Amino acid sequence: MDEYALLPKKNFDELVKRFTNSFQIYGPTEKDGKFSFDIISDPSELRLDISGVPILPPKKILFPPEEVLFTYEIISNDNVKINDPLDEIKKKKQVFIGIRPCDVQGLILLDKVLMDKTPDPYYVTRRENTIIICITCDNPAEYCFCNFTRSGPLIKKGFDLLLTDIEYAYFVEIGSKTGENIVNSNLDLFQKASKEDLTKRNRKIHEIEEKMSKIRSANLDELYQKITSIFDSSLWDEYGKRCLACGKCNFTCPTCRCFDVYDELDLTLKKGKRTRKWDSCHFLSFTQVAGGEIFRKERTSRVKQRIYDKYCYPVDEFGSIFCVGCGRCIQVCPAEIDVREILKKIIGM
Amino acid sequence: MENLYIPNIAIIIETRKETPDIKTFRLSFKDREFQRKFIFKPGQFIELSVFGYGEAPFSISSSPNQHDYFELTIKRVGNVTSALFKLNNGSAVGVRGPFGNGFPIQELENKNILFIGGGIGLAPLRSLINFVLSGREKYGDLTLMYGARTPKDIVFKEEIETWRKHIDVHLTVDVGDETWKGTVGVVTVLFKEVDVDPKDTIAVMCGPPIMMHFVTKELLKLGFPENQIILSLERLMKCGIGICGHCNIGRKYVCKHGPVFTYKETKDFLESAI
Repeated sequence: MDEYALLPKKNFDELVKRFTNSFQIYGPTEKDGKFSFDIISDPSELRLDISGVPILPPKKILFPPEEVLFTYEIISNDNVKINDPLDEIKKKKQVFIGIRPCDVQGLILLDKVLMDKTPDPYYVTRRENTIIICITCDNPAEYCFCNFTRSGPLIKKGFDLLLTDIEYAYFVEIGSKTGENIVNSNLDLFQKASKEDLTKRNRKIHEIEEKMSKIRSANLDELYQKITSIFDSSLWDEYGKRCLACGKCNFTCPTCRCFDVYDELDLTLKKGKRTRKWDSCHFLSFTQVAGGEIFRKERTSRVKQRIYDKYCYPVDEFGSIFCVGCGRCIQVCPAEIDVREILKKIIGM
Repeated sequence: MENLYIPNIAIIIETRKETPDIKTFRLSFKDREFQRKFIFKPGQFIELSVFGYGEAPFSISSSPNQHDYFELTIKRVGNVTSALFKLNNGSAVGVRGPFGNGFPIQELENKNILFIGGGIGLAPLRSLINFVLSGREKYGDLTLMYGARTPKDIVFKEEIETWRKHIDVHLTVDVGDETWKGTVGVVTVLFKEVDVDPKDTIAVMCGPPIMMHFVTKELLKLGFPENQIILSLERLMKCGIGICGHCNIGRKYVCKHGPVFTYKETKDFLESAI
């Protein structure tokens, strides 16, 4: 099998169309002047030229902001019937077209928590039914820093197909058996890639890196060493004062997955559902137990929690930082807290 | 793939009132076969659903040597517990678990054990105490220090009396009343009454964070090595399986790495545990 292929640009729309019968197609699209990763009914709706990333990462499709864990029916005092929704979820298949490399890395990291350690059946079921067609991001935004987190511009895994725009065509890297099958069953659309095409792709990646070079590339080992030694530093106080504890950084982060759970009954008081909903470690209620005790009362402790849960704790547990450099938290923060500035300070300490 | 979010149905088969706001619920899974296979360690917890109200974590207060049922000793403090207190015997609830690591029962063998409980914190210790008593010969001297707010708030009153045969029991209350002839003061005042040798003793405690903070300080002063101080921690374990994020303390998740840690382990969390 070839590792690479070429997809002439005129064939791109046709490839997308061929998925429409059996898959729900998601991709970057324009919505009210903003970019959103959403359902696409026609290839013309795709916006592959956007700078940076869509507001919410594709995580929202595999791990939705609100999700019914199960429904139940109270039949009698001693009998409750529970309905597991997984069979319904299993029936749905989707393709992510135009997902960014940073967001692919986000899914790789989420997999470590939701698939590898303790399988979260809702996420796992959707993830296994999802085809990933990643497109190299050649227009990084000011807030992008994937070169620092090693999650772009070129990624090595996590995709079925990786497309890179080399002007006259998309250079296609095949990343899985599924990707290979897509190429083989659409041979009329793909061509063989030459050595020159590969060289062209690599040159393109280099050009993108050049655009981003203003962001200092630091050693992640050094970051880990430093961050473990400054937990009690006064550095955090400033950010504790500035942070508004709104949780936007959590809700837009490709690797945040904290959730709250609640029950609701309908008006008959016999039928109910249990739902989980994204939650934020910046909220005061996040650590509150029934007796009233709140374990992270100070905002500083909550700011620290998020930073440590991206750059320190996951290194201990999963062997990797949980940041993909997408810069969404920088883009959405109303207090203009820039995580790159925090990281520079830590490394410089 | 097993869906760990779906509870199993259990029935409340007996309810005992411990204090004005604490009850012990005896539960048994509706599926008898499931009940037979439900194996847990002292110190582990379950997630209890009251349908229509929600789910909350509770440690198991009965000994794992009881196979026909398990017990939860619960204080009425929130939404789920208030709803639970209104249920009658015979009612269905949902149970997920057991979760967590439980107490290191093997490491307690051949050692003296100092149990220290505060308030409802005696619940997981009761599971351990009854487990230890069913193999009494395997352990050294047993001591219990227990503190409650008032004499009315002491849990397992009758059972504590039966423990006295095997355990050196010391009780205290924050505020006494006309019936109370014993010690008054926070649980640390009991250190004056007990005689423990830090070298061969393991201290196992569960209670409010402030109590565990001061008890740990005392134990360190007495010369207890940090790895012989065992804490059972309370946090908001929503999912029980290390995903939802609410129970994490620094590097660790209380639900899956704990809830039982040595003091030495907690010092490596970065974030402070007690």
